[in-house]
Amino acid sequence: MAELEELVGAAVDAAEGGEDVEAYASSSRRTEVKARRGKVDSLSGSQTRGLGVRVIREGRLGYAWAADPSTDEAAALVAAARESSAAASPDEANVLPEAAPAEPLDGLYRAALVEMDAERKVEIAIELERAAVSSRPEVTKVEDAIYADAATRVVVASSRGVSAAYERTDCWCMVMALAERGDETQSGFSFALAREPGELDLEGAAAEAAERGARLLGGRKPKTERLPVVLDPWAAASFLGVLVGALSAEEVQKGRSLFADLVGEEVATELITIVDDGRLPGGPGAQPFDDEGVPTGRTPLIDTGTLRGFLHNTATAHRAGASSTGNAGRPGYRGVPGVSPHNLLIEPGPDGPEALLASAGRAVYVQEVTGVHSGANPVSGEFSVGAAGLRVEGGALEEPLREMTIASTLQEMLRAVTSVGSDLRFRGGSVGAPTLLLAEMSVAGA
Amino acid sequence: MTPVLDETLTRDVLHAALSGGADFAEIYAEERRSTSAQLDDGRVEDVATGTDRGAGVRAIAGEVTAYAFSNRMDRDALLEAAAAAAAAARGNAKRAVLDFTRAEPQVLHAPGEPAGGVARERKVAWLREVDDAARSHAPEVRQVVAGWGDSVQRVLIASSEGLWVQEERHRLRLVVQVVAGRGGILQTGFEGPAGLAGVELLEAHPPAEVGVKAARQAVTMLGGVPAPAGEMAVVVGPAGGGVLFHEACGHGLEADTIGKEASIYRGRKGEVLASELVTGVDDSTEPNAWGSFSFDDEGSPAARTVLFDGGRLTGFLYDRYWASHDGAPTTGNGRRQSYASLPIPRMTNTSILPGATDPEEIVADTRSGLYAKALGGGQVNPATGDFVFGVSEAYLIEDGEITRPARGANLIGNGVTILRAVDAVGSDFDSRPGTCGKDGQGVPVTTGSPTLRIARMTVGGTGG
Repeated sequence: MAELEELVGAAVDAAEGGEDVEAYASSSRRTEVKARRGKVDSLSGSQTRGLGVRVIREGRLGYAWAADPSTDEAAALVAAARESSAAASPDEANVLPEAAPAEPLDGLYRAALVEMDAERKVEIAIELERAAVSSRPEVTKVEDAIYADAATRVVVASSRGVSAAYERTDCWCMVMALAERGDETQSGFSFALAREPGELDLEGAAAEAAERGARLLGGRKPKTERLPVVLDPWAAASFLGVLVGALSAEEVQKGRSLFADLVGEEVATELITIVDDGRLPGGPGAQPFDDEGVPTGRTPLIDTGTLRGFLHNTATAHRAGASSTGNAGRPGYRGVPGVSPHNLLIEPGPDGPEALLASAGRAVYVQEVTGVHSGANPVSGEFSVGAAGLRVEGGALEEPLREMTIASTLQEMLRAVTSVGSDLRFRGGSVGAPTLLLAEMSVAGA
Repeated sequence: MTPVLDETLTRDVLHAALSGGADFAEIYAEERRSTSAQLDDGRVEDVATGTDRGAGVRAIAGEVTAYAFSNRMDRDALLEAAAAAAAAARGNAKRAVLDFTRAEPQVLHAPGEPAGGVARERKVAWLREVDDAARSHAPEVRQVVAGWGDSVQRVLIASSEGLWVQEERHRLRLVVQVVAGRGGILQTGFEGPAGLAGVELLEAHPPAEVGVKAARQAVTMLGGVPAPAGEMAVVVGPAGGGVLFHEACGHGLEADTIGKEASIYRGRKGEVLASELVTGVDDSTEPNAWGSFSFDDEGSPAARTVLFDGGRLTGFLYDRYWASHDGAPTTGNGRRQSYASLPIPRMTNTSILPGATDPEEIVADTRSGLYAKALGGGQVNPATGDFVFGVSEAYLIEDGEITRPARGANLIGNGVTILRAVDAVGSDFDSRPGTCGKDGQGVPVTTGSPTLRIARMTVGGTGG
């Protein structure tokens, strides 16, 4: 079996005159354990690797990839990508980045994760389930209690002299607790992320999932009215997730961003600062260089309410006459780089979530939004999503509310923020937010 | 057909997987070759070919399932995967692999003209036809993205029970998204025919027509008023009701959801849980449909399962594991995204069957409400049945007539409540392909229905 370096080397060596070739290879080892009723329900382990090759000829780009290729197949992929390039349109932005050294990121790779044996991982999943079912009387079972981890290695090389590699480890646990009363069931979700298993807050995730499920029991549809809304960090991050596209130069250049032409303008209240930080220690999306070998950094996007710029990869930067922000992102070796954030976040404010609730008065606290993906239009900014949560009266969380819909536009929402919490948390992906208090919004129910 | 793995190696891998005392061992091996291209902003880009390959070894001991996969398909790698599975699935069973019995498909979905043999240039030319037609439809069309994807997947599934199944699946999908703008308003339209088929799929869905349909939707919605909010009668257009049925109800009928006690349908087979007008089926035998196959991803033959019969709950969707857990026969619904995933119970082509009422009469009989012509994606909580759907094309119904387009509507409700509230089922029918996501696995599905009316449900919109 060839090393990743040999595979990318074989591909780059197959470059012909007048063309640029880039090879991206990755390998990963993963484990996933699901626990159910105090026992291991399933255990999955894997080893995968593959190679993707970009060939650029006369501005035309072709791509070819294969899982676990030999060095001979690596060279054949270059020929296949070359053939595909002939069918593509020329685009002067089809350029590869020049070599630039990336500072390594300390602590991204932890041997402790790789060395942990499968039996200990099984115990972690079982502990997670046990903690969830023993934290609240209403919770006697879970829909899922999962521990998972991955150790990944990435190598990028090109005919432009790029030659870079990094390794990282990630682990996470996820629990969906089921809370019951009479014949009603509510589910509550939580998860935790870390670089190595010893740093995962299992107890915290389990207790939170149980609490989030139990407190929704007995929920009713609220009356339709306009009132302040408090978004918990995950609900806020769900909305921020829809804005990711709007902050990508790729979408801007293709006329699909609601922020196009608004650089330098006020697009949010001055409480809102949004940055993407590819080097955030502990951030789930941290990496020393992006998926085409460009060093990552910290990119301000919205600064105290003013739109400052967009995320770029090499191609979008070329088109805009700008520099890449190190945000090339690709679906592993199976696809060409697009633009994606690393750790896109709303900078936390000074006050804890309790202080936000206290200042909210009579409001709706949203702990779950559903249908954001389908219910929000990232181009127009209009959205209408389902929500579940609790009523807020006098700063305290009161009775549960379900089957609500919240409708507005993302633009209005950014201007409606009246307070930003200090409790920044990341959602599963690479988007994080703190609790947000919004001025009146339309909350529809019965 | 040359198998993806040879028989001796397959038998050795299964023996190794059983060596810890597992009751059952299975290997799923596949090779998938694909071609894709995208036309975005008038430019052809992302022309790519890919070869994916890999094998997954599953061992089951009692209630424990162990799975190990690799995309190395050599003997060493496969035996290592089998050993890893065997170590996790320990038991006392003493089982040997029987002789393999080759299963013959009862239903074939042979492609007319496999896309794999068609030149990249011809595929790109079809994308240009989509683009040209969408752009010429109306001056408001601002952006067109058209994508092509075809693949041929060769699968081998063999088990310690002597199962030996091979299948070759040819899939093709053409998708287009159009953005139209007028003043400060932007709206999107979408169309995406797909099939377990070759390029003959384009005879039923000519590329130009596909482009026009998406453009028409985007341009129409530009003239929309903000959707109303509150409870009202909702008429769902053909195919749209299938999305509703799939999301709001179908997921709760998948046996894993039931087995984990996370479904409201648990223990309720035989009860009348829907309007008597509702008969719903899941059918993977539908010829050349996007969600079809000859065998599911555990080697069980394709089948048709009646889920609701005149409102009565009659069936659940089983894979092998949950069938054996519940002492029921598998319904051939064990599916996986690839060798990298364990099979789980999944829907295939799920439909509400047509009724007797003229669809025009249904609208005429509705004094006021919302006509949801095309539904976007949706999300459901299977534990409660609560759901929310985006409506990508909606209109107001005023005095029994479909009038102005309504923007930004979504439908929110509960699966059980909604199925009970169906008070009219049309005699028409249509279905749409899509990708259904569950537990991180995406699989091709179709959803179909006639025109349906839900007497009352909550519409979320900004129009107050």
